[in-house]
Amino acid sequence: MRPSGVFDKNYGQDIAIVRTWQHWTVLIFGLILLYAFPFFGSYYLISFVNYLAISVIVALGLQIITGYCGLVSFGQSAFMAVGAYASSILTVRYGISFWVALPLSGVVAGIIGVIGGAPSLRVKGMYLALATIAIHALVIWLIMHLNITGGYKGMFPPSPELGSFAFDTDDRMYYIICTVMVVMTYFARNLVRSSVGRAFIAIRDNDLAAEVMGINLYYHKLLGFFMACFYGGIAGSLWAHLMTVINVEQFTLIHSLEYIGMLIVGGMGSVPGVFFGVIFIRTLNEVVMFTSPFLGQIFSWLGPSPSASLGLSTFGAVLILFLKFEPRGLAHRWEVFKASYRIYPFKIT
Amino acid sequence: MIEFFQLAITGMMIGSLYSLVGASVVLVYKSTHVVSLAHGQLVAFGALAFWIFMAQLNLPFWISLVPALMITGLMGFFIERFALRSMIGESLFSSFLMTFAIFLFLEGFLFLYLMGGSRTLPPFLPKGNFAVAGLFVPVDQLISFGIAIILFIVLGLIFKFSWVGLGMRATAEDHNLAQSAGISVRNIFTSIWILSSMVATVAGIATANVMDIYHSLPYIGITGLIVAICGGLDSIIGALIAGLFLGIVENVSSGYLDPLVGGGVKDVASYTILLLVLLVRPYGLFGLKRIERI
Repeated sequence: MRPSGVFDKNYGQDIAIVRTWQHWTVLIFGLILLYAFPFFGSYYLISFVNYLAISVIVALGLQIITGYCGLVSFGQSAFMAVGAYASSILTVRYGISFWVALPLSGVVAGIIGVIGGAPSLRVKGMYLALATIAIHALVIWLIMHLNITGGYKGMFPPSPELGSFAFDTDDRMYYIICTVMVVMTYFARNLVRSSVGRAFIAIRDNDLAAEVMGINLYYHKLLGFFMACFYGGIAGSLWAHLMTVINVEQFTLIHSLEYIGMLIVGGMGSVPGVFFGVIFIRTLNEVVMFTSPFLGQIFSWLGPSPSASLGLSTFGAVLILFLKFEPRGLAHRWEVFKASYRIYPFKIT
Repeated sequence: MIEFFQLAITGMMIGSLYSLVGASVVLVYKSTHVVSLAHGQLVAFGALAFWIFMAQLNLPFWISLVPALMITGLMGFFIERFALRSMIGESLFSSFLMTFAIFLFLEGFLFLYLMGGSRTLPPFLPKGNFAVAGLFVPVDQLISFGIAIILFIVLGLIFKFSWVGLGMRATAEDHNLAQSAGISVRNIFTSIWILSSMVATVAGIATANVMDIYHSLPYIGITGLIVAICGGLDSIIGALIAGLFLGIVENVSSGYLDPLVGGGVKDVASYTILLLVLLVRPYGLFGLKRIERI
């Protein structure tokens, strides 16, 4: 949102994320609102925002690899599972503090992600998508069959503690999750305007040309997978300690597909798009969850609890509509809106 | 050794079902350059439609087969008309995402119908075992195996020799060029979706013969996709061989490895093979070497 008449006079201004004093105001008030939210929001809303924030972290990772680097990963929730289990194993079996386990689980997930991203060196596009489905299945299978992960029973990670203060409720975890989300968003926004981010975009747009220009494809693709899975792992760790019970049912293929769907709705290759997509899909799901019992009462053929199936169908229908009518996602609408604000009262032709 | 051959034969029978699902994916790719995830749902819905006519309405086999084929053909028509028609000329990947959206859309309806339960088809093929040299082959599976082979031969001949098949292959090359050469790309899209939905239905009925219709049956579509990629996306004979091979490997590996690792090898065997194929021969065993290499 930049009004007409704001000009960039040097490179620093050109690449600045926060450009005008209005931006600063919105940013500071937004952050205050974010952190003051538990004082007036209901417990349900706080849990919902927690869920949104964790999804945002996962989807940001996916945005880096899929939206910016152009390598589609259908295995993001498996890497989230790796992070969740790594964090649980570190805290439960080795007694390491949550504050150390959180970054470590991200690194573990990132390393697994680099191994899982190896097929990207050979194939891309749809083939890579299938390869990541295979990676997803293998990771989940390993988690179910290793002794250290607790198999089908899952694990029970403890709540984080700081001194004698335990983050054992949703509104207390809210501060950790939101802080991590803000830091990760800032990091992602910075990453994509750095040389690494520009290299990712070059690889996405034309990998052959990027290689000719001197971008190391192997290094950047694996780095992209590391980043994406690092994000997934961090989110998984937060999820594990928020839920305090994890099992493989929370990280199925459908969840991975959901994150891809969020990117489709939000728009590929845009950090604000992640927020739009996550909020849109999660809110839609909540609306379906609330309305489906009433629908079930009105239309008896829907059965007693149609929420899961109606949620899936609505999600699929939304994806079809977006792919058909708005393939560039909500982020594109946002860009159009920003442009029209800048040149107001003229119209975009 | 006899155990190995027994496992292999059983796996081959299952593999013929995978080949059929793979064939429907290959059909769509070969004629429209769209890789479809949605066929897993068509498999499940075909089996379900057949179940409704056969088990609910107590119709005989042949009479319930026709409406089941018609229903899934209609579904294929609608999928094409409302979702994939707008994807003509788009990249391979965006149409793949479209089929994935269709998969989720239909998945919800399948959930809604099954409600966590499962449906079992009444036996409609002759039961019993057929013994050769100490190996047992179930007769009904042998029949569905034979049907699969016949379907494969027919499809292969259509693609190789008929004018329609030629048009379909041309469309797969390039939508624009095919359209300007006088081929109606829209008609090709419609007809191939109807045809492949019917093939998927046959696969679904044959699958429902050996296992229940339950909520994760559509994931056989992913297995079909794996078969199609392993065999080469544009090779019908590749789908047949890869499907049989995959079935054998799954069954043999789970027969020998399950006791060692505690079960579940069957679920990952096909994925492991997929990864190996993608790493070694990304264009599949029988596909054209046209995939973009990096």
